[in-house]
Amino acid sequence: MDKILRDKKAICIFIAPALIMFVVILVIPIGQMIYYSLCDYAALTPPEFVGLANYKKLFFKDSTFRIALKNSIFFMIFSAVSQQVIGLLLAVLLTNIPKGRNVFKNIYYLPSVLSSAALGLLWAFMFNPKIGINQLLAKFGIEGPLWLMDTKGFIILPMWVIAFVALWQYVGQNMMLYMAQITGISKEIYEASYIDGASKPKAFRYITLPLIKPMMVTSLSLNCIGSLKFFDLIYNMTQGGPNHRTEVLATELYAEGFNYFKYGYASAISVVLLVMCLIVTLLVKHVIKVETYES
Amino acid sequence: MEKTAVKNRKKPLSPVVILIYVILLLLAVIYIAPLLWMLMVSVKDNAGVMAEPFGLPDMIHWNNYVEAWTLGRLGAALLNSVLVCGVTLLVSLFFGAMAAFAIGRMRWKLAEATHTFFLIGMMVPVHCILIPLFVRFAGLGLTNSRFGLMLPYITFSLPMTIFLLTGFFKSMPGELFEAAAIDGCGIYRCFFRIALPLCRTGLFVSGLMTFVGNWNELLLAMVFISDPAKKTLPVTLTYFVGPYATNYVQMFAAIIIAIAPTIVVYCMFSNQIVEGLTTGAVKG
Repeated sequence: MDKILRDKKAICIFIAPALIMFVVILVIPIGQMIYYSLCDYAALTPPEFVGLANYKKLFFKDSTFRIALKNSIFFMIFSAVSQQVIGLLLAVLLTNIPKGRNVFKNIYYLPSVLSSAALGLLWAFMFNPKIGINQLLAKFGIEGPLWLMDTKGFIILPMWVIAFVALWQYVGQNMMLYMAQITGISKEIYEASYIDGASKPKAFRYITLPLIKPMMVTSLSLNCIGSLKFFDLIYNMTQGGPNHRTEVLATELYAEGFNYFKYGYASAISVVLLVMCLIVTLLVKHVIKVETYES
Repeated sequence: MEKTAVKNRKKPLSPVVILIYVILLLLAVIYIAPLLWMLMVSVKDNAGVMAEPFGLPDMIHWNNYVEAWTLGRLGAALLNSVLVCGVTLLVSLFFGAMAAFAIGRMRWKLAEATHTFFLIGMMVPVHCILIPLFVRFAGLGLTNSRFGLMLPYITFSLPMTIFLLTGFFKSMPGELFEAAAIDGCGIYRCFFRIALPLCRTGLFVSGLMTFVGNWNELLLAMVFISDPAKKTLPVTLTYFVGPYATNYVQMFAAIIIAIAPTIVVYCMFSNQIVEGLTTGAVKG
């Protein structure tokens, strides 16, 4: 038995297709992207090495990039905090009700599997300054804000609107992950704590919270990476407008690369995006220290 | 008399639980209402939408669906989506299962390292490979082709598939394979005849997730395909975006057509999707 499981040739055959695809479609292009980011490269001319010029321009001259970076960071922090807190809250509420758990769970999770391109169109209509929600508000004599067209403030209103729509769409995912972890905790631990006089909030603080920490790492890193590479909703709701104020890294990258064909410049933006994803993942892993408990 | 007896036996709902139910119900309304509203608007006419977006339609215009279907070329788009996602699903499941079997079941030094290597792939945003891949594919004539779109889709589906299936293979009892080996079963037969059929649930779950993910994918499809006859569903929907797009009823009809398959699949398999998503994540 051991012999056939150590069969080197078979291992190679099994692993080869996936590995080759991975290297050709993922690893090599990443290397190329890093090289392109150091080049002056427009679609039609061959890449010409210019060192760090693209990055200098990005960080010191490009005001749109700064807006995109700011929006992306805002979006990541807002999504991480709101989706984690509300997701966990929903998970706790749902595990504590006697009936209807599955129905509610399935309803809240539904938007996560739907196309955000389609839902973006729906919400763009709802938050149109002249139609949608504002028409409803007008009936009560309230003049609604400009929603997606507003440009006042440090974080402008459209970004908040998009962030809330993203919260609506994706909070179900976090809820689901936490629910799985919470239902996996043995009931006996809780019963024992109640006998010792613990209240429900205390049980949550000292039993549930420490035991779901491993899931927090998974959920939070998925959450942060997901919000950093966010594209569909914004593209279909504002297309980066008004006046590039709702641009995020992904839409900025798309615009530079495929509207203006500045491949080198867009590659530099992708490098920034990739580095941010890696930093965030490492940060999450190190900030949330997972202690192992016997369960 | 009997009724009250039954009532007394049940534990009465505490005010806190009732409050929780009220909150959950309100939230459910926020989730369901926009979708139902969309369904309602999709059968109105444009004037009706602008005048009374939240009122009931006075006449049902099924015509919107017909027009959206022809105007947005939704038939072709649906076919493309099914084709691209279907092939991606089969290939990524097969490749993923092979790799997962080698990692989870076979004995070699680099198994863990390979596993980590594939998992890191989950962290890489698809945006990062967009430009180099586009340049390469343009040189090879793979842009504007459905095959060219499948390649990155398969690659980006692999980490999740491998992650889920490795867990399934690892949890299989080793005696099964030992018994098979004693009976003279080779490693390939072990894989095809024992391992694959036994992890049907895993295949089903990772298949569903792959399918849903690729079905909704917008960015790659938008960049790689410019021929309207080869566009996938999410890309076709962007036809209705923009400051001059005012044909709202058709837009909503198109959206309904685009999300209906996902909703149907979700309603049929919601429990499996949920279960698969969570078992995979919990094990990791």
